Amino acid sequence: MSVTAPPEATPKHAPPVRPSRMPDWFGNPWGRPRWLKATTWVYIAWSLLPVLAAIVFSFNDGRSRSVWQGFSTRWWWGDPNLSVFHDPIYTNALFHSLELAALDMLIATPLGFLLALGLSRWRGRGSGTANFLMLVPLTTPELAMAVSLLLVFTQLSVLPFTAIALGTGAQVIGQVTFSVSYVVVIVRSRLAAIGPEYEEAARDLGANARQSLQHVLFPLLAPAAFASTLIVFALSIDDFVVTQYMSAGGETVTIPMLLYANARGAATTPALNAVATIMVLVTLVGVGGAYLVLRWFGHRSGEADAANQMGMDLTGME
Amino acid sequence: MEMAAAAQASPVVGGHEGGEVRLEALEKRFDDVVAVDAIDLQIASGEFFSLLGPSGCGKTTTLRLIAGFERPTSGDVRLDGVSLAQVPPDRRNVNTVFQSYALFPHLNVLDNVAFGMRYQKVKKAERERRAKEALELVELGDYAKRRPHQLSGGQQQRVALARALVLRPSVLLLDEPLGALDAKIRRALRVELKALQEEVGTTFIFVTHDQEEALSMSDRIAVMHEGRVDQVGTPREIYEGPATLFVADFLGVANVMDVEVVTSDGTGCRLRVGERELRAECDFVGTGAASAVVRPERLRVAPHDEVGENHIPGMIDRTVYVGSNLTVMVRLANGGVLQASVPNDGVDLDSHEQGAPVSVHVPPDALRILAPSGVTPAT
Amino acid sequence: MRNDGAIWRNFAIPGVVWLILFVVIPAYAVLAVAMGQINSLLQPVPQWNPIDWNVGFVKEAFTSVVPGGTYWPATRNTITYVASTVVLCFAIGYPVAYYVARHAGRRKGLLLLLIFLPFWVSYLMRMLAWIGLLAPDGYVNQVLGWIGIGHTEWLSGNPYSVIAALTYGYIPYFILPVYAGLDRLDQRLLEASRDLGANPIRSFLRVTLPLSWPSILAGSVLIVLPMFGDYYTNDLISGSPHTNMLGNSVNLLVQGGSQKNLGAALVLVLMTILAIGMLYYLWETKRQQEKLAA
Repeated sequence: MSVTAPPEATPKHAPPVRPSRMPDWFGNPWGRPRWLKATTWVYIAWSLLPVLAAIVFSFNDGRSRSVWQGFSTRWWWGDPNLSVFHDPIYTNALFHSLELAALDMLIATPLGFLLALGLSRWRGRGSGTANFLMLVPLTTPELAMAVSLLLVFTQLSVLPFTAIALGTGAQVIGQVTFSVSYVVVIVRSRLAAIGPEYEEAARDLGANARQSLQHVLFPLLAPAAFASTLIVFALSIDDFVVTQYMSAGGETVTIPMLLYANARGAATTPALNAVATIMVLVTLVGVGGAYLVLRWFGHRSGEADAANQMGMDLTGME
Repeated sequence: MEMAAAAQASPVVGGHEGGEVRLEALEKRFDDVVAVDAIDLQIASGEFFSLLGPSGCGKTTTLRLIAGFERPTSGDVRLDGVSLAQVPPDRRNVNTVFQSYALFPHLNVLDNVAFGMRYQKVKKAERERRAKEALELVELGDYAKRRPHQLSGGQQQRVALARALVLRPSVLLLDEPLGALDAKIRRALRVELKALQEEVGTTFIFVTHDQEEALSMSDRIAVMHEGRVDQVGTPREIYEGPATLFVADFLGVANVMDVEVVTSDGTGCRLRVGERELRAECDFVGTGAASAVVRPERLRVAPHDEVGENHIPGMIDRTVYVGSNLTVMVRLANGGVLQASVPNDGVDLDSHEQGAPVSVHVPPDALRILAPSGVTPAT
Repeated sequence: MRNDGAIWRNFAIPGVVWLILFVVIPAYAVLAVAMGQINSLLQPVPQWNPIDWNVGFVKEAFTSVVPGGTYWPATRNTITYVASTVVLCFAIGYPVAYYVARHAGRRKGLLLLLIFLPFWVSYLMRMLAWIGLLAPDGYVNQVLGWIGIGHTEWLSGNPYSVIAALTYGYIPYFILPVYAGLDRLDQRLLEASRDLGANPIRSFLRVTLPLSWPSILAGSVLIVLPMFGDYYTNDLISGSPHTNMLGNSVNLLVQGGSQKNLGAALVLVLMTILAIGMLYYLWETKRQQEKLAA
């Protein structure tokens, strides 16, 4: 039974190594394929450098948005009439974009949050239809949604549609309608990740349905609610199609609408690049800040901490 | 479930010689972490060889170096004398049974088994025939058209085995192949796997953290610890003559006592344990502080009035009934506790009650003395 | 917990009411306008009662998108542009997703950040960037001039510019699911394939590609859906009727004002085409899931 010393190699029939059919540098499983690396970096350059160029052109000294004529800040604040911070066309659009984003966040987040909670647990009649409805805005081209909303607001003379004219109100409704689905998707995936255990534990420890929601589920869902608020903000700021279809012109023009209308205009100045840059910065600062806040959330209340917290809250309350 | 019986009648797997593996100063670093620290091993053709150790000891990395998924930082892997260090895995005549089998989920069982033969330029009809035979060999002939996820864990494991063996590798690498199965199937497969290996005669290199698995199946075992090989030997050599405290502790339960070697002459020695002196078998010359290791099943718990050589008085601290035997914890006068295993052959339980005075007999040949530092073993 | 069900349903009610008001009823409005009449002022008169539906506009819309019809060029453009874009997104995006998912090592975080940065830059801003570069006196033409290829009109009816712009605009949405799919792919399956003797190319073709097929499909759906309603890319990059897509036709009919009925009918056509596509996608996904179910 016991093999003490291994015998010398016996004559072999199967060769230990099969011949190569491709160059060694290619077959090498240990290396990182250089051409993939090159492709990736070229792709990144291609995807980001044009945007960077557009941002740089907002500092152009001349009127051109394609030929560099030296550095200046005239299109940002230097020019008393045509710069971003002085021309009312740009300041209005900037203000209106932010106004819509704020309203969209305010309405879509709670609406979507509650819908997500409801859809995740409601198993009765109608829940299947509601689930399907929620997915429609995600699987329809925005143009189809925009056309349908335009027609219903202009053609249907029944309340509540007659009460809503094209303009800010219709724009908010349009944006909320597609934003809600994103909120639902984010909150539901978080709900699925949390699982039913914490709630069941809360009930087991004596909390009623409302208390377990208030003291357990809502705190656990707070990061998801926060993240979805931010997504809604970004969606709203960047939205073009629905916002344009629901717009009444004038005061209700947003930055993306300005970009669409003026990007090809011969008289357009680099101030357009400047306003586009502001939009990008607002979004990036928002996203970056939110990322930091979410990390702070994560540090502050890990899953285990939240669970520990729960027991204390329940005993300490009322 | 009699895989081995079928193997006798079938030429589908194995059937060639070779398969001697040598690891020469093999080293693998991941950045600053040394996963495998310059190990030398020689594995004979046709041997069932186990790499045993806790997780993170480098055993899986060693296996991956032999398979070719990792490139050694230095050193070499030789198969039948040929260096493999620069050869990619698809060109090595070495196959692997993966930890969770890595069966291709998009292919059915038959296509999984036939997968590798395509690259050995085997004709389609021949591929199918051999794959079917290999499935018969592992008793899964009826499952050829199933998808991997439709099989149980044990069945998946056997498909993985068939998929690798059908290529007639010189060496089969097995990475904890029984780890994902439940205890009962695991025990059955242990016997089958060993029988299968004996039939096909292929070198098996088996990675496991389960000492029982390694002891029951292997011809030889290498115990690995922190990237190094602590000891190589037959299961019996390793279990009964552990070379290091780690090996003693990792394989089964070991009582470790701090002792003082008073005299030793290369064959026998005298030790001091607290107030007592014990006689033991030693293979070194020298004196000093050392560790003595003794297995619970080698201790005998005798009535307290039995005295004599290598008897230590003590008091029963706790007795645990585990069915086939009793685990008895005996507290010694110096405060130390010895764990003894008493066969449950109708023994009187009352005499093993807590607080009962006893005398523990330690046979001299049951004591393994790990040489005190600064002493040369007389090999 | 018997009465808990009611709580959950009550939570869902506001959202469901919202969706009925602003998704279901508007969808019906499209139907009513498409099946309605037109008055002497060329304004649509929606027909809300299905019994009195007029199928004239819908018939016209369906016959106009087939070869020989008024909107056949737009249909043809849509199909060729969308198909080309999907192929380009695959050709460029797949290697990128593959590299980041499997080989990025410790740079993975940085690469992910850079690859998904475009998500946070408005689509129109990204088009604006190319308008500057592709302008007659822009950098693209300058570079082409240096290497002797000469000056090209990129921004007036050039279909290649439109395809390039669509690819540029939509490729992040393709990379996202493909990256996720490749990241989930079990490394050991590739090792098993190599171990069984398949070289890198064969391992890729027989293991990686089939297993990432569902995520390639998902990425394609994610970019095809919005492209069928895209009119702004064309308006910005080309501005010429020669490169019109179906989205442009719908936009002109509806926002142009005079033929809202036909515009609504064309939306129905669009949705029919996409519904067929979605059904195929759902069927294929289900088939894949059954194949791979764990």
